[in-house]
Amino acid sequence: MTRHRGPVLVDTNAILECWRTKSWGALSGGYAVQTVDECVMETQTGYQRRRPEQQIDERELRGRLSAVHSVSPLELASATLRDGTLSRLDVGERTLWAHAITRKDAWVLCGPDIASLRLGVRLGLQNQLVALEALLNDVGHRPKIALKVAYTIAGHKTTLATLITSEGRA
Amino acid sequence: MSTNLIGARLRALREDKGISQDDLARLFGFKDRQTVSAIETGERRVSAEELLIAVEKLGASFEYFTDPFLLAGEGAFSWRQTGVSPQGLSAFERSAGRWIAAFRVIAPQVGHDLPLLRKSLGLTRQHTFEDAMGAGERFAAEFALGDVPAVRLADAMERKLGILVLVVDALKGVSGAACRLPELDAVLVNRKEIAGRRHFDLAHELFHVLTWDAMPPEHSEDASEIGKGRMEQLANNFASAILMPKPVVDRFGDWSKLSGAALAAQLNKAADALQVTASALKWRLVALDRVALKDAKAIADATLRNNGHAAVEGDLPPLFSRPFMEVIASALREGHLSLRRAADLLDLKIDDLAELFVIYGLEAPVDL
Repeated sequence: MTRHRGPVLVDTNAILECWRTKSWGALSGGYAVQTVDECVMETQTGYQRRRPEQQIDERELRGRLSAVHSVSPLELASATLRDGTLSRLDVGERTLWAHAITRKDAWVLCGPDIASLRLGVRLGLQNQLVALEALLNDVGHRPKIALKVAYTIAGHKTTLATLITSEGRA
Repeated sequence: MSTNLIGARLRALREDKGISQDDLARLFGFKDRQTVSAIETGERRVSAEELLIAVEKLGASFEYFTDPFLLAGEGAFSWRQTGVSPQGLSAFERSAGRWIAAFRVIAPQVGHDLPLLRKSLGLTRQHTFEDAMGAGERFAAEFALGDVPAVRLADAMERKLGILVLVVDALKGVSGAACRLPELDAVLVNRKEIAGRRHFDLAHELFHVLTWDAMPPEHSEDASEIGKGRMEQLANNFASAILMPKPVVDRFGDWSKLSGAALAAQLNKAADALQVTASALKWRLVALDRVALKDAKAIADATLRNNGHAAVEGDLPPLFSRPFMEVIASALREGHLSLRRAADLLDLKIDDLAELFVIYGLEAPVDL
């Protein structure tokens, strides 16, 4: 695949997986990786909802992101009214989506949760959903620690196909 | 939004605050109240700007209008508790309301229909304690609760009556609660209570669920196996009979021949077998004339505490319930709920949530 040249929007799950597999440098070095304030916050100790938690230096994280966006209440309200299933996502995931749908450029979004992928399909944006493995492949990075299935090209493809059928978008 | 959530919440809040549709129309800058009416009935959608005006002017959170996993202006709880502050109870009720509301919204989406019909007991305040016990006896028999009714009761409530049963980490002092929504009944029990108390609470709350229309329970009642008010006494008699029906207690021999230490020992042994408290069993046997009142009163409370065991040990039952977790697992698999959102809803780490699915033997996409 050709390497994506536009912004890559990542959610908390994707950042944590990059960190776990020591792929953050490759991803952030290869793309204009962007996220929202809420996702940055959720990567910090006490907000990861994981046990054990990873130590992620916020300054280092922000330093490698090409942008961290703040989402206004109006943007969040507009996104929620556009599709109420946004409320099925966690704060970071839904805020990232609220930001994403305001953009007019060629962004892709890396958020592996099935509910996040479903929302993307519902919004007709399935072509802008991307697997972390695909992004890393395209910059020539093969993590030494295996990615979890949800982040692989195969896992992403299977889930997306199911969701596209389920939402009648085939 | 996929349903008229915002309109319904707006109406509930307006009515709660005693605001007319005309007043609200002025607040929004609408020409007339018909626009408010149309929003409330779902005929007209609100704009993002209007939604934010509602948040600002009505003093409610954004989530109040948009989060389907909230009970807002709907649902009634009845708590069994001892010494819990109204503020503490109110905060815990909000958490409990989120679990119940989430189940209500998600269950039908994943093929778990909410009950079409609601069953009720034909009991009123005018009925006798014997009537309540008779109803409990019949319930145990008709729902085939078997030799240890406490073990099968929750399953019967869930599978045969469509009642959502949730085993939760409640505030200290909270024994349990019954909750009524238009579409669903729920019962919560505190998993940190000893097993005998938990089972009694469950049966007691079942009584409230099954008699809610005829005898709406108080929002909060004192938790005791010897209830004070008439309705609570009816509930306790019903609960005792469900958990300790005549054929079941008679399996343990001729109680009338026992007294003193022998009676206490047999009470503790039988209570362990039936997973009830020895104290509840004692009073049940008195009610059935199997044990004389004087013999019952002669047994010191301490003899029956913890069914005669020095300390109460044992594993806590898993949180929530299998039907509830089945719905959550399906929602995760099908993408109706994100894993992080589920963890937040249930106030668990993702890893603890994963362990809970394993305990219930459920598969869910938790490896993120």
